[in-house]
Amino acid sequence: MRTVEVLMVIIILTGAFIATSYFAVLPWPRQVSPLDLGRLSLTTLETLNSGNDLSEAAFETGNATAWENLQIAISASLPPNIIYNLTVYNVNSGGGGDTLYTAENSVSNAANLGISSEASSYLVSSSNVTFNPTPQKIGETASGGGGITLYILNCSDSDGWWITGYNAQSLAGDLYNLLSPYFAKTVVIQNTAQFGELLNGTPLHGESLQNAVIINTCGEAVPIPAVFNTSPYSNDGYAQYCYLLGQRVNQYNWTWTSIVGYPFYYVTNTGVFTGANDQNGWGIFGMKCVGQAGLNSFLRGLNGESYVTDTVGWITLGGGNNPESEQVIISPATQALMNYYGIYPSIYQTATRAVPSTIEGSYSLVAESSVFTPKVDGGKTWLAGSTFAHVDNTGSIHGKLIPVGLTRSTDIRITALAILSYYQPRIYSSDFNSYDTSRLVVLQLGLVGGT
Amino acid sequence: MLLNPGSPNNWGQSDVTPASFGVQDPEFTQYELSAFSLMRLGASGDLLEYDKTPNNMYTRVTPGAGAALVTPNADALNYSKALTLLGIKGTYGFQLSLTPDVTVSVSETHSCSPLTLSLTATGASFPFANAEVNYCLFLVTLGSTPAQYPSYELLNGTTFTDTQGKASVTFSTVTDPSEVYAFIAYARLDGVVGVGYHTRTSESDQYLVPVVQDIGSQTIVLAHSYDLNNSNAPTASLKYNATFVISTQDYTLSELSLGSGSGTYGYIMSGIGNPVENVTLPTCTTGILILTYQESASLGGVIIMPWGISALGFPVNFGGNPSQQEWVATDLRQVMIGDVAYQAKLSLWSTKAVQVTG
Repeated sequence: MRTVEVLMVIIILTGAFIATSYFAVLPWPRQVSPLDLGRLSLTTLETLNSGNDLSEAAFETGNATAWENLQIAISASLPPNIIYNLTVYNVNSGGGGDTLYTAENSVSNAANLGISSEASSYLVSSSNVTFNPTPQKIGETASGGGGITLYILNCSDSDGWWITGYNAQSLAGDLYNLLSPYFAKTVVIQNTAQFGELLNGTPLHGESLQNAVIINTCGEAVPIPAVFNTSPYSNDGYAQYCYLLGQRVNQYNWTWTSIVGYPFYYVTNTGVFTGANDQNGWGIFGMKCVGQAGLNSFLRGLNGESYVTDTVGWITLGGGNNPESEQVIISPATQALMNYYGIYPSIYQTATRAVPSTIEGSYSLVAESSVFTPKVDGGKTWLAGSTFAHVDNTGSIHGKLIPVGLTRSTDIRITALAILSYYQPRIYSSDFNSYDTSRLVVLQLGLVGGT
Repeated sequence: MLLNPGSPNNWGQSDVTPASFGVQDPEFTQYELSAFSLMRLGASGDLLEYDKTPNNMYTRVTPGAGAALVTPNADALNYSKALTLLGIKGTYGFQLSLTPDVTVSVSETHSCSPLTLSLTATGASFPFANAEVNYCLFLVTLGSTPAQYPSYELLNGTTFTDTQGKASVTFSTVTDPSEVYAFIAYARLDGVVGVGYHTRTSESDQYLVPVVQDIGSQTIVLAHSYDLNNSNAPTASLKYNATFVISTQDYTLSELSLGSGSGTYGYIMSGIGNPVENVTLPTCTTGILILTYQESASLGGVIIMPWGISALGFPVNFGGNPSQQEWVATDLRQVMIGDVAYQAKLSLWSTKAVQVTG
């Protein structure tokens, strides 16, 4: 008896399952996994605008030929079973209760797209409008603070060293093009006499001296005005002139930039150093060798110490007991800034005169930014392309030094990156949604026979 | 895989096996695919054996006469490896199909005085009407003495397709019906670009085949047809002249100097022991390698090879066979490869047992 009951239950359950399966309406495969018409629409719009043709047609709604061509291109790129409607909307100002978007023109290959179409929108800009990025001027503040000055040493009466393949004048031109948009004023110092005025605290064109950035395009040599070709500045092979430069950098909170090699290794003035032996030891005349005392004296001047004849000696790579060179790599943070500012030097560089981090403790310096990832070798940490700020005991900054420290020939873009990575001025984009400069294109797609 | 270049992102231009799979062009965002990564995908085509190189097995993709892309199987990324890199091996299968949006077919309607070529441009569902067609005729002059190599002349021009997507171009300077040439045409309208080609060669069993020996070093070996498929070749020679052309911004073809290698012209000798000739292509750009060759003063030919899959609008089919699957999810995208518009179809299915009703 029980067996019969069990069999009847099985028959009833099986019958119920079959009946349910028969009448159940399962979704169609294309409902479960539908074609992503939204993405197809967006990629079609991107393709149509790859040559800027969609943008042009969107602003020529009265041009029947342009719209006929647009329709042909859409039809040629979409599969036969897809129907479409492309509509261009004008972007209104939106003020005074106006409609934000107004339909301008439309093309379609179907009376309607059914009830399950999908759409994508694409904002195009007029070819008559130029969207210029506007760089922030370094030092400008919202409260009205003025921007700072960029000085480029382009002294016609001085020579350069370790700028092989270039001359100071060509480097000055490149730096001007790269950096002048970011500064309130850019002053190109044309000769050592003008540089002398600057060192004596006289602006050349009414610019602000305070907080300025100075780039020395002469490489390892530094121009010396004739007025400083005398004692005490000429003492110790002109080391005391370098000490004066350090003092001035401290006094005016300048940022001194050495673009290549050992900073302050030579002094140069082709009008003053005219003797038969006034050459740097490598046949470049109008130049005298200061040696490693130049940098050490500069740092003492920057740190507000009294002048003493240098006894420290060689401190960078490539001399003393230090390693000869290091391959340095642009840090990830600086690589991001390369994209931001559109400056792309090779990320691998060779440093042969990078300074050690020990100068931070010796001269009250703080490495506040660095183009390259620091390298540790020979028991020291080597910093190339770093910006060292001189911080006094109250925490205030009085002067900065950027010793790029790479080998010759110099890539001037590294200098530009070093300055920009320290100050990080913003680049303001133009308003893309401004009235009458943009139009919205909407491409709606549906499937033939779609529900 | 369309929005990811893979790792390393330049794997398409090297010999390395990628650590992750993707075919996006690393220099772009969105749906711009790498013409070189796609060239490394294991293609379906005729197997070809060439014993004069360390890689001796190749696959020949030949969508039409006169053009060929022969890639080394050793450098190819096969479907099984791609599944592994995507982490779906044993669970899902896929097929990636890339088809040019616009097909440009070229045929010869008059052989000389003038040479007349007819073009038909067709989109996915519509004639490609009103399209601007930029074309280039690569007209070959065979060397008349043993010391002369085949030379060439580039003739660029522009025309438009009619409402049926058809156009016709004539070259009155071609007066010999056996004159060898290659013709390449780009049809473009509103960002949609298609490419087509046609070649004319002399009848001969000797011809030249460009073989991509090594993608990483961009080395192309110029193989004699007698040396292919272990044919125990007799000694025979062909004179050749190699040219690399790129499409400029306005779609005219411009020559680009070839890098190191045996040179841009010389001899290839069939038979074991005879040296191989090669050319090195640039890494920076897609383009077309045009090889002219001649057996005698009257017998010669031309063969063109795309450097980057899109340069001649070659289609791509990579992956499994969706027709044998029970339930296949399919999605479509418009993509750009180089300057050429393609439709990308990605089919995906489960390899586990499924039951579908409805």
